[in-house]
Amino acid sequence: MSTLHVLSHSPFGDSRLTSCLRLLGSADGLLLTGDAAYALQPDTAPQAALLAHAGLTLFVLAEDAEARALAIPHWAKAIDYPAFVELSLHHDKVNTWL
Amino acid sequence: MKFAIALFSAAHAPSSRRALLFAQAALAGGHEIVRLFFYQDGVYNAATSLVTPQDELDLPAQWRTFVSDHQLDGVVCIAAALRRGVLNAEEAERYQRSAVQVEAPWELSGLGQLHDAAQDADRLICFGAA
Amino acid sequence: MAKSLLLISRQAPWSGPGAREALDIVLAGGAFDLPIGLLFLDDGVLQLAAKQNAKALQQKDLSANLQALPMFGVEDLFVCADSAAERGLDPSALALSDVQSLDAAGIRALIDRYDHVMTL
Repeated sequence: MSTLHVLSHSPFGDSRLTSCLRLLGSADGLLLTGDAAYALQPDTAPQAALLAHAGLTLFVLAEDAEARALAIPHWAKAIDYPAFVELSLHHDKVNTWL
Repeated sequence: MKFAIALFSAAHAPSSRRALLFAQAALAGGHEIVRLFFYQDGVYNAATSLVTPQDELDLPAQWRTFVSDHQLDGVVCIAAALRRGVLNAEEAERYQRSAVQVEAPWELSGLGQLHDAAQDADRLICFGAA
Repeated sequence: MAKSLLLISRQAPWSGPGAREALDIVLAGGAFDLPIGLLFLDDGVLQLAAKQNAKALQQKDLSANLQALPMFGVEDLFVCADSAAERGLDPSALALSDVQSLDAAGIRALIDRYDHVMTL
């Protein structure tokens, strides 16, 4: 069983990323969309939290990284909408943190 | 595969545009959308009175076109809609309000429609809040 | 067989309609006899604080809806132990009885058990 977790809030001053990482299962995926992409910003606590999470399968919506001039590190995969659709089917369910 | 897509944010929220793009990609990928369900501030996407500047993305218009073109089931939660002043003709009459905001292809209905869609769908995907 | 839905409620009770609207989804599901679970997480656990007074804010009493859950057939109620501890909530003095306290591993297992999950 695996879940695709989707975040869309900025990780700065918001607890969703922290809570999500605490509950992330080993087979789960994490997709950063919208302002959640800022978690990729180098030299920040959110980025460090992502790096510290062993075995994290991380995706980011390409358009959101591009709009924010965020570089995609080698340990994250940038995806488009068709890939987002496929990802939602690859996992057993999608949990968006509204 | 079948998708039920629920939207919780207003038209100006980035998540609303993301929901539309996801929905378009789902259909383009040969999948089926069982229902679009608008809840909480998502009901504003169905409001006909929204005026978008000409040089901006008109998301309510795009949603309307998308739902009509593909003959999708576009449901707006009635309780959430009433609370936010998004009424159809019937509710405007019932509550003696002057503005009618919801017309076809949108339909006002209850949360049962969300559950019904979740029962039918392989995946329930929510968009909203940000 | 009916598909099951887990609703994760993260909003504090008086932060707007979020907590109530999340609960409405749960009650509607229960009314249709669907298998629904409800997990209180992060600020959502504050909905379970004892002796709250909705009238002080001219709001409807959320706890009345919470008490109604078993009547709607929703008995799978869970609270995140860490969230409760962080917010100084005594797990033995919650506004709702029969709420199972779960740690992170327990919540991971819980999410895996359901067909759909919504986090509000």
